[in-house]
Amino acid sequence: MSEVIGELLGVGHQYDEGPEIFKGVSFRIEKGSFRFITGLSGSGKSSLLKILYLGLKPKWGSVRLFGEDTFQIKPALLPLLRQKIGVVFQEFNLLDHLTVIDNVSLPLRVRGVDIKRSYKHAGELLEWVGLGDCLKAYPPSLSGGQKQRAAIARAIITRPQLLLADEPTGNVDDEMATKLLCLFEELNKSGTAVLITTHNQRILKKFPYPQLALREGTVFQQLPIEKKAS
Amino acid sequence: MNKDQDLPLRNDIAARFVPKIIILMVYLGTLCSTFTFFMIHSTLLWEEKLTTNLSIEIPFFSDISSNDLQTQVTDLLQKTPGINKVEVVSKTEVQTLFHSLLGEDTNVDTFSLPAIVDVSLNKRDAFDVENLETRLKSISPLIQLIDHRLWQSQVSNLLFTSTSLALLLTFLILCSTLVTTFFATRTSLLIHRKIVEVLSLIGATPSYIAKQFQRNTFKQGLFASSIGAFLAFLTFLGIYFLFKNVGQTFVVTTSFFCEVLAIFILAPFITSFFMMLSARRAVMKALCS
Repeated sequence: MSEVIGELLGVGHQYDEGPEIFKGVSFRIEKGSFRFITGLSGSGKSSLLKILYLGLKPKWGSVRLFGEDTFQIKPALLPLLRQKIGVVFQEFNLLDHLTVIDNVSLPLRVRGVDIKRSYKHAGELLEWVGLGDCLKAYPPSLSGGQKQRAAIARAIITRPQLLLADEPTGNVDDEMATKLLCLFEELNKSGTAVLITTHNQRILKKFPYPQLALREGTVFQQLPIEKKAS
Repeated sequence: MNKDQDLPLRNDIAARFVPKIIILMVYLGTLCSTFTFFMIHSTLLWEEKLTTNLSIEIPFFSDISSNDLQTQVTDLLQKTPGINKVEVVSKTEVQTLFHSLLGEDTNVDTFSLPAIVDVSLNKRDAFDVENLETRLKSISPLIQLIDHRLWQSQVSNLLFTSTSLALLLTFLILCSTLVTTFFATRTSLLIHRKIVEVLSLIGATPSYIAKQFQRNTFKQGLFASSIGAFLAFLTFLGIYFLFKNVGQTFVVTTSFFCEVLAIFILAPFITSFFMMLSARRAVMKALCS
């Protein structure tokens, strides 16, 4: 049985006095697993991911990550947990005052890697995602697709144990989307658990991995589309 | 890229007003510390020179020989335990004293000037002045004993109070500088909330984020406080030459000048160091709570 690196038990959330986004959500993330989170717009996919990358505290339930109860963990240990997670934010969250290479090398620098080495790694990765000629560019001058790729490069540069990607193919064409998913697969093969939110049916067909479908405020485990069709 | 550029701290609103406040604070603070050192030095110099604790005034009598009385008094003083030194003030010195009181044009030679004997005590507090006065009165009831310790202690208390006040003022100025830094850092944290959030989410520790603020505050503090200290030094030189030009003696010994110079050199480093700690505290308090 694979090692469990993340576990949600009866997790529910609502913003302020608004309606419950989801309730009683329970699932496990095994080491080296690859899954999609699917659901309609507003079904709470991004909020679920936010809970997993410790950017949101759910109102109900418990979340365990890498063996730690995130509700009871000491604040000083939170950054150490976050360092094991790579996140591709839906809004990219690139820092506008930093160049693309500075943005991508940032996770390495916060982990204490020296600037020279972090630049070397970031340069190679940016070359791979097709941003080799944008190293010194600032995010506001990039297109949506370029920002997306830079955000992905930043999330995977540390080879995290868990990669959470919120609609990572939302702003790129099919060819680039496939290329990025291949990159995620490569990372997954080296042991990283990958959890991606998407509603891109073409991607779901092309990459038949298990899905967690968010419907009516709860999660249903689904088989890959291909298998279902057969 | 520089290590402290993950946050664009140089261009935020806090960066615009903080240096101006720091310049003013350091200017006032260094002047205040200079004044404190001046007071301490002056007090020490004054106490060093002040060896006379008592003065005995022997009036001029036409019928008795002043010299006889003087001899009797000095004999008595020399035999009295607790007295360290007995010194008869020369006639010239007494005349100079009267000249300074009555003016240079006054002919004091025609006055019946009293003889003055200065007395230094071994232990100021343990000496019985009343007993000595009784014994002096037995020689002549017109002999006066003046105890300088009363006014000396008053002046000493005044100097001590002034020094303490100046020290307190310096401390308060430093405190307000640190409070300003603390709140400016909190403002800066609010301005860059989004970036701080992203940094936290990609695994930056509060200490890493605090270091960004620390470095920036130290640089900013060092620059601003160097200007403040330089302006204070110019003011000090101005006061020194002003006193010199009007013919007043502004007591500046070499050691005092060295200490003042050290204040002006060290003040920017000390201030920016404490500002740096204050910035760190502000960030850590906000991110770890």
